[in-house]
Amino acid sequence: MNYPHWQLAIPGGMLIALVAVLHVFISHFAVGGGFFLVVTESLARRQKDAALLKYCRRHSVFFALLTLVAGAITGVGIWFTIGLVSPEATSTLIHTFVWAWAIEWVFFFVEIAAAIIYAKTWESLPARDHQIVGWIYFIAAWMSLFVINGILTFMLTPGRWIETQNFWDGILNPTFWPSLVARTAVSVILAGIFGYITLPRYEGREKVARWAALWMIAGMLVLPLSLWWYFTRIPQFSQLYLNGVLIGVRHAVRGGVGFTLLALVIALLCGVWKPRWMRAPVVALLVICGLGMIGAGEYLREFVRKPWVINQVVYANDLRASQVEALQTNGVIHTANFLLTDDPASAAYGENLFHLQCGSCHATGGYRGMKRRVDGWDAEFAADILQHIHMLRGTMPPYAGNEEDRKALGRYLAGLNPAWQFNITDGNRLEIGEKVFNSRCGHCHTVNGKFRPLRGVFEKQTPSQVQEMFPALGMMSNNMPNFNAPDDQAQALAYYIAHEAGKPLPQKPVPAEAPTGSPHSQLVRPAQPQPGVR
Amino acid sequence: MQTIPVPHVDPLPLPGPVWLLTALLLVVFTLHLAAMNSALGGGIWALWNYLRGRHSAHPYSRRLANELATMLPAFLAFTVTLGVAALLFVQVLFGNFLYTSSILMGILWLAVIPLVMVAYYGFYYFSFTAEQGKGIAGCVLAVSVCILLGIAFIFVNNMTLMLSPGRWLAMYRAHPNGWNLNFNDHSVLPRYLHMVNGAMVLFSAILAHLGMRKLKMDADYGRWVVQRSALAFATHTGLQFLLGMWLLLAIPREIAMVLLRDPLAGTVFGVALLSVIAAMLLILLGSLAEKPTAMVHAGFGMSLVTLFLMVCLRYLLRLAYLKPYINLGALAVRPQTGVIVLFLLLFVGGLATVGYMLWLVARSAKKRASAVAAS
Repeated sequence: MNYPHWQLAIPGGMLIALVAVLHVFISHFAVGGGFFLVVTESLARRQKDAALLKYCRRHSVFFALLTLVAGAITGVGIWFTIGLVSPEATSTLIHTFVWAWAIEWVFFFVEIAAAIIYAKTWESLPARDHQIVGWIYFIAAWMSLFVINGILTFMLTPGRWIETQNFWDGILNPTFWPSLVARTAVSVILAGIFGYITLPRYEGREKVARWAALWMIAGMLVLPLSLWWYFTRIPQFSQLYLNGVLIGVRHAVRGGVGFTLLALVIALLCGVWKPRWMRAPVVALLVICGLGMIGAGEYLREFVRKPWVINQVVYANDLRASQVEALQTNGVIHTANFLLTDDPASAAYGENLFHLQCGSCHATGGYRGMKRRVDGWDAEFAADILQHIHMLRGTMPPYAGNEEDRKALGRYLAGLNPAWQFNITDGNRLEIGEKVFNSRCGHCHTVNGKFRPLRGVFEKQTPSQVQEMFPALGMMSNNMPNFNAPDDQAQALAYYIAHEAGKPLPQKPVPAEAPTGSPHSQLVRPAQPQPGVR
Repeated sequence: MQTIPVPHVDPLPLPGPVWLLTALLLVVFTLHLAAMNSALGGGIWALWNYLRGRHSAHPYSRRLANELATMLPAFLAFTVTLGVAALLFVQVLFGNFLYTSSILMGILWLAVIPLVMVAYYGFYYFSFTAEQGKGIAGCVLAVSVCILLGIAFIFVNNMTLMLSPGRWLAMYRAHPNGWNLNFNDHSVLPRYLHMVNGAMVLFSAILAHLGMRKLKMDADYGRWVVQRSALAFATHTGLQFLLGMWLLLAIPREIAMVLLRDPLAGTVFGVALLSVIAAMLLILLGSLAEKPTAMVHAGFGMSLVTLFLMVCLRYLLRLAYLKPYINLGALAVRPQTGVIVLFLLLFVGGLATVGYMLWLVARSAKKRASAVAAS
């Protein structure tokens, strides 16, 4: 609310992700690849292996072209993007860690100078001096990772910094070391993967293929252990996300594991066992696996931090936690600096609120699009549910506005889709009931699933008994919106719930807990049936 | 009357004293400009000499283009690296202004990233192919240079827009998607031309300095480089005076008056004028002789001094622009002393490391030269 919101066709968070994944992919290679180059060069010189030395030289040109240009520029790209999408959070990080970044910049400067010298002086520098430059490069690159890792981990686990605001508490936070080990392992894996890009065609091919595979395997041995260590250090709400409560997280975990295992299989088969199989399409597949690993990892790292961008300080929509109360009391119109309209009664105001409050993660269509999510909502229900937005699946910040603001945004959200008109028959009742459930209840509940299951409440109820409870829903708990759907939809919904709750139980026990994403604390409360329902 | 919306400063205190953050900003920005001027000015010099050198009558042009080709990627690498540091410190001091203006022109601001990348790969392409003198090397370099000129235009727009909070709300309401440029500000065009021509001025001085080092190896070629660059330096400096006057007339009168009323700004301005005149005289006199003299080096040194003074002046004018909205002296400060000391130590260590690597390269070059001479 302090800054203007950059209105894009896609959520700003997705833009950050696109730039960040590309940068992380290349920058980790920049660390591991430097290590790979200088170790391989020493090996080649010790063994007087001309073919291996020739490979190193060729690889160093590719390495410089990729890391100096795309790696460095996408790094600046992250700066630009976070400043545009999350200026409040960026400002907090800058004010906390400007000297860390300055230190990182020193290493970056040395790294760039060393990379240029290393790639250009294969002939002109004596072997020993050339390797010294290579080691300087690697140490500077790894130290750069060391510092940035502290800032990145701070965003999820600020630790004691919340109380002390002390630099060292922030940077050496609870996940600093496990994350550093994991990132180093990833760098080593990527060094192996990218090592195949310049694989010699004839002489030395087998040796390089096996050598690069060894790097991949070594990294993959360390990675799972470090990730487990990391998992034990992250907050409880993040652990719950990773335990599979949310579909997107489940897919990302499976994707990350799948890509890693596939890369491991390729390393063993085409790297160690049959190096001649390591042809261009296989290398391309390996690179895709590497990108997939990084993509999944970054997605999860970002997702498990929701609803925060800096845990307990700034929400994912770039709103400071400390600003929420003032916004709820005074309203957005009296608080925000940059609004597109001064008329809170206008339709444009609701749209403006949508961009301000939701635009960091949601657009109207596409990925995380709101249009399909609010299909079936009327303005009253939308305004009501906004009060409880932080309760949905634990990943949403609280709604920061007064009642007038909620109504304006509710009208906008309801207007994204035409109002539902159904001709309900016996044949489509169940299908329409499911649709109504997904629209009205499914954001917070499942019937038989893992997330706040309703089975316990409705298991032995008839459709009419279920429907009798609807008018009282809003009174059952402060966290429940009023039920105001038309009668035919209520009927279909009751029929669906009774039908689903009456199904035989699945074999697997359902977990007792689910994340709630409480706005001002990290407490995770068990998903209890609403008081009064029993 | 509607108040002018300006985002509040960050609630966290500044992590270091304002004087230190300002000093670092001024130093790294000067170095960034020196590298940027080398990349842009060097690119234009390389392009001109590459095109000219296609005719056999101009072998020195061809040679110079080839030599510049090998340097251009490094120039751009250091432009980016030093630019990151400047961006870091300007965000701490003026983040609430810079973030806002960047958001207002978000699409164009972000476009800088892919544009730099294309220009950078273009420089590399040129460095690999210039010597062969065939194909599309010249076209690629021309595209890279045009891109750098475009990036400079985007930067000038943003750096002027961050000084104009009064325009922000109307611009945001007109294009909340970030398709804004600061065209309504009359100072944008002269400031842009001043920056671009300034790149030609400084790079000409750098080239004169580099040419002096070539005198030992090839006196004729070295003299040709020094005299050409000295002439260009004088011409572009003359033009820079005219553009500077245009810029002074284009900025708001009360800001321009700072140069007269504020003793510090007036002194910096006066000394900068004297130093540029000194630089011009030194480079011209030093290069006119049959064997160019060390005065060229002194002129190059004075050019760098001028650049630093102009950066300081720019900073003082920025303070004058933003005076109604921010008082840096009143900001809360909680210095992270231990980390600052660590940074300064590492900074010195980093410079020493780079120096050591360059020494390794120079030592090896010297040994090879001795070996060639001995054989």
